[in-house]
Amino acid sequence: MIADDLVIEKGVTARDQWVTVPAERIREVLNALKSDGYRLLVFLTCIDHLIDTSREFPARFEIVYQLRDLDRPAEIRVRTFLSGDSPRIDSVHDIFPPANWEERETYDMFGVVFTNHPGLTRILMPDDWVGHPLRRDYPVGGEVVEFSEEHQTWQTAPDEA
Amino acid sequence: MIDSPGVTVTRTGEHGAFGGELLTVNFGPHHPSTHGVLRLIVDLDGEQIKRIQPVIGYLHTGIEKQMEALRWQQGVVVTDRHDYLSPPINNLAYALAVEKLMGVEVPPRAQALRVIMSELTRLSSHLVWMGTSGLELGAMSMLMYCFREREQIMDLNEEISGFRMHTSYIRPGGVFADSTPRFLEMLDKFVRQMPGHIDEYEDLLTMNPIWRARTIGIGRLPAEDAKVLGATGPMLRGSGVAWDLRKSMPYSGYESYDFEVAVSNDCDCYGRYLVRIKEMREAVKILQQALNRLPDGPINVDDRKMLPPPREELETSMEAVIHHFKLFTEGYTVPAGDAYVAVESGRGENGCYIVSDGTHKPRRVKFRSASFVNLQALERMALNHMVADMIAIIGTADTVLGDCDR
Repeated sequence: MIADDLVIEKGVTARDQWVTVPAERIREVLNALKSDGYRLLVFLTCIDHLIDTSREFPARFEIVYQLRDLDRPAEIRVRTFLSGDSPRIDSVHDIFPPANWEERETYDMFGVVFTNHPGLTRILMPDDWVGHPLRRDYPVGGEVVEFSEEHQTWQTAPDEA
Repeated sequence: MIDSPGVTVTRTGEHGAFGGELLTVNFGPHHPSTHGVLRLIVDLDGEQIKRIQPVIGYLHTGIEKQMEALRWQQGVVVTDRHDYLSPPINNLAYALAVEKLMGVEVPPRAQALRVIMSELTRLSSHLVWMGTSGLELGAMSMLMYCFREREQIMDLNEEISGFRMHTSYIRPGGVFADSTPRFLEMLDKFVRQMPGHIDEYEDLLTMNPIWRARTIGIGRLPAEDAKVLGATGPMLRGSGVAWDLRKSMPYSGYESYDFEVAVSNDCDCYGRYLVRIKEMREAVKILQQALNRLPDGPINVDDRKMLPPPREELETSMEAVIHHFKLFTEGYTVPAGDAYVAVESGRGENGCYIVSDGTHKPRRVKFRSASFVNLQALERMALNHMVADMIAIIGTADTVLGDCDR
């Protein structure tokens, strides 16, 4: 089990068990849970709580790890919070191998940096993409569509001006 | 090695075990056997694979971002499109997650119809897999046989939902429409014919020397590795681990159906093939049971705040008109919180994690796709195999790149 001093808060939402832990001790927590039987990382993701007034959040970004014990079967969700400017957390790719790509995706979509990751590059977006699309302040639509008429106008605009 | 469309070759300067130079071969993204657009950077020593670096993202369509801009009931249409070989199962994961957060339980008839649609989808997904894998590994006629039955499933989809592929049939709160007598008739006929057709597929493949030579002992993934790499679905069961969400963490009334979990201890491409064949037989069994005891009753929850009132009520009831108006202009709200639901798709665990901020649009929707996680096991499976075996390995991993890239 996780030591009591690591637990900030715990509870059950919609029949799902969860526990909030400090971000800087995430590896300690996941190692403890892994030796406790939770050996599968179901998914890892991030939530951007920018201007969410429905609840109180300690920080803007929430990293969520969903773990499962295949034998019981039981699940637990580990939450941890990261502040908005330059979010950074330890990578867990060596504890749970599926985390490798999930962390790259989270970096790609939210700009969260996972320290000690073996190759933290964009995975879904092109390498030269600017911005992190799943952040709440990143607009839906509005970007120029390549090879479209709009794109041509946009490209030739400086010459005509 | 000759350059062909979709394959380019460069020399690395490193030397392999046989004294030759390691070659870096770019495979894809536009190659017919990548099941979508997958790019692989493969380092070869002669014909042996020494490193594989998958490059994904070519089918990224920003589905998770789009979901945040759509109301809860509109999101269903988008879920259809990430794993385009099993739309109703994607719908089901999303619908169950929304219902879980709202604390809603759908009526028994809706649950049975959801099971019917899920199993039909599993069949059609496995049929596409078998047809295309057969095509790649030298059994050309498989595609014709598999698509013949898949066509019947498409007709069934059309009969019940109006659409052949992207059905949007399963929605939060129930299903889109009740089954018609013609649908049940067609399904009955299909269920009676299908076991014979599966025997036909087995006649063509199970003892086929070419198929066996291309799959037995290829792409080995021991049980322990499969678990560590987080593989799910036929990839995990083909490695001898009897983990099926329908049995282990049942949803939508699966606990009341009598079926077996398909497992094979072969741990190779052939084992994964056997698992899928068995799963198809079990799916027919489940369909038969669902058809025999399809309960009567409503197909939607009786909640006017979540689903529109029946058409005839709109003419007589002011309340109904208000509900109808509110639902189609504003939508319904989901209590603040988060929920995760996992369902078993043809490829493995298809999960949906939703976060609500209490408004009529989701704050975050995350799809946990089986293809994305299973693809990470590719290097482990393909190491030291011949380059031609890579096709068999990608094939039997059954990745759908739309599901992988979302």
